[in-house]
Amino acid sequence: MSQQSLTRKNGPDGGASDRAARVLSAVVEGLSQGILVLDRCLRVVRCNASFRALVGLSASESLVGRYAPRLLAERAKGGCPLARGVRAHLREGSGTATLSIDDGRMIAFAVRRIAGANWIVVLDDITAASRSEAFAHRLARHDPLTDLPNRRHFLESLSRAVGQGPVALLCLDLDRFKPVNDTLGHPIGDALLRVVAERLCGAVRKGDTVARLGGDEFAVLLEGLDVAGATDGLARRLVDLIGRTYIVDGHMINIGVSVGIALAPNDAADPDTLLKHADLALYRAKGQGRGTFRFFEPGMDAALQARRRMETELRQALGQRAFELHYQAQQDLASGRINGFEALLRWRHPERGLVPPVEFIPLAEETGLIVQIGEWVLRTACKEAMRWPDDVSIAVNLSVAQFKSPRLVAVVAAALKTTGLAPRRLELEITESLLMQNDADHVGVLRALHDLGVRIAMDDFGTGYSSLSTLHSFPFDKIKIDRSFVDGLKRDPRSAAVVHAVAALGGCLGIATTAEGVETDEQLQDLIAKGCTEVQGYLIGRPLPAEEAIRLLDPIRSPTAARTQEH
Amino acid sequence: MPKTLHRLVYYSKNAIDLPKDGLEAEVRQILTAARHNNPALGVTGALMFNQGCFAQVLEGPGEGVTRTFERIQRDPRHRDVMLMAFDRVEERGFATWSMAFVGASAEGRARYGGIAAESGFDPSRLTGSRVFQLLRDLVVEEEDQPCVGA
Repeated sequence: MSQQSLTRKNGPDGGASDRAARVLSAVVEGLSQGILVLDRCLRVVRCNASFRALVGLSASESLVGRYAPRLLAERAKGGCPLARGVRAHLREGSGTATLSIDDGRMIAFAVRRIAGANWIVVLDDITAASRSEAFAHRLARHDPLTDLPNRRHFLESLSRAVGQGPVALLCLDLDRFKPVNDTLGHPIGDALLRVVAERLCGAVRKGDTVARLGGDEFAVLLEGLDVAGATDGLARRLVDLIGRTYIVDGHMINIGVSVGIALAPNDAADPDTLLKHADLALYRAKGQGRGTFRFFEPGMDAALQARRRMETELRQALGQRAFELHYQAQQDLASGRINGFEALLRWRHPERGLVPPVEFIPLAEETGLIVQIGEWVLRTACKEAMRWPDDVSIAVNLSVAQFKSPRLVAVVAAALKTTGLAPRRLELEITESLLMQNDADHVGVLRALHDLGVRIAMDDFGTGYSSLSTLHSFPFDKIKIDRSFVDGLKRDPRSAAVVHAVAALGGCLGIATTAEGVETDEQLQDLIAKGCTEVQGYLIGRPLPAEEAIRLLDPIRSPTAARTQEH
Repeated sequence: MPKTLHRLVYYSKNAIDLPKDGLEAEVRQILTAARHNNPALGVTGALMFNQGCFAQVLEGPGEGVTRTFERIQRDPRHRDVMLMAFDRVEERGFATWSMAFVGASAEGRARYGGIAAESGFDPSRLTGSRVFQLLRDLVVEEEDQPCVGA
């Protein structure tokens, strides 16, 4: 500090404290809080501009020495509700309060003793802060996109309602919403969700609660004595209404909704169980084709438990090597030889014995376990094929889930490499539905597999929607004609025509055509006449365990070889 | 899709479960509401009601047509709404009608009845432009006749 400033500070008596008092006074005057200082008898010592403004006193009015309670009473009479509140709290002595004023303002009030005998009253306008707090509160309880109550808020409402009387809980899940987001983009998806929310709100009664639980999940809560009767009609209406076409930003969009319903107190007396039951019913509605609603039934829980148990067992089966492959022969009609086998998955369950694939493959697909199971199938089938003559191939089915796995091509390459099987002996069978889901991606994977040297067969041909166009999308090595056409050869001229046409088409394109499900000699002759190149079915051989299948390849002991030689 | 002119055609099944008098009152109310709401949105069009079915043409700015259609979609008085067309067009077919109504004249009934029989009430067998043309022809024919609710 310089000598000069020291000199100044120690200047004439009183100068420094005067200055300090003036600074303090200016600070007090400029505070946004209203300040009122009173003596021990509640007479005004001073007040600042904010205080005057809050209680409506003009700057010119001299207040010093006025008895504050009387002053405030006058202002209250003069139309200042805040003055009344301040007066009331002042009489109670030291303390704090929040005063709500009729005009919507929120004022924080505090009074306490200072400097011994004096009182200080502080008024603070907290309207803006409390509004943003209310806003934050609302934000925490509402979905910002649709402005509906969010999950947290809804669960609170549900808990409260369940204790008060009959309640119907509807859990809603939009059908086909994801493709909208994927193909048209999130802004359109968001706009669509807003319209869905509006439709839901417009369909319920006043007082019912509609909430967005997240993503494309919504919920509706009905309360009152008549809920059981009203729910059926509302659910029907919601399925109809949400399923109606939307136009969003010029795009025509069609989605649907699945609804699961649980009633309290009938189905459950507590909110958690009620929610669980509504979810079970929703799960059932989705499983039964979507675009529909289901009420909870006690059996649903048991069905889901059984499903969960099976999922656990499937996982264990994978670890415990409880799967096995059976092999079904394919016969080349030109030579009469068995030229390949299709590998078919079986599950040897510790209690139920051999479980047919139809009972566990859908679950394996749904849970994604099929990817790991599929890897095992590929390795095992390739390894088994190595025991067969070089000109006998092995066909393995690929599922949609496997196609979605980015590792598929690597898995196939690894199976070939570790077993040493020549790629051309491996035939991968895919279904038409796969190509219809996401053409570009799946065709790319097919090409990569083709590049490995493996052959690609179209399975169950004719059961999809656009058979010819799928044939066009990829150079298949083989078409497998679905068993339903073979079954109808005799009875249904249309089946016969399809088989004939596909065989001719295969002939023109240079693609092998395999007829599946061949059971009678008559069918076999018919298929030969129609120009099919291969057959598969019980007539040629049932699916057999590896040790029995390999015996079919022994020309001396093979009944099939002996039989076909007769022709 | 800002100010460009769009035309929307839909077909739906009547869900009003009322005797004839009540039904006519409801349809009148639908027309009154349409004629009240549509001008502000720049929407014009025509409504056909007959034999338990509605067919309607809405035309105007994309936004106005979209909003009007969304309001119609939420109406519980019909069901199985089938959107037959939503396209950009060069000009309006019902420029002078906030909502023309077809179904009042005996001739209109006969004509529409014939079409309905021909298509077997199967909306998928009529195209959007066919419905539009049909409505326009009928509106021109009925133009001088008193309309319900007009």
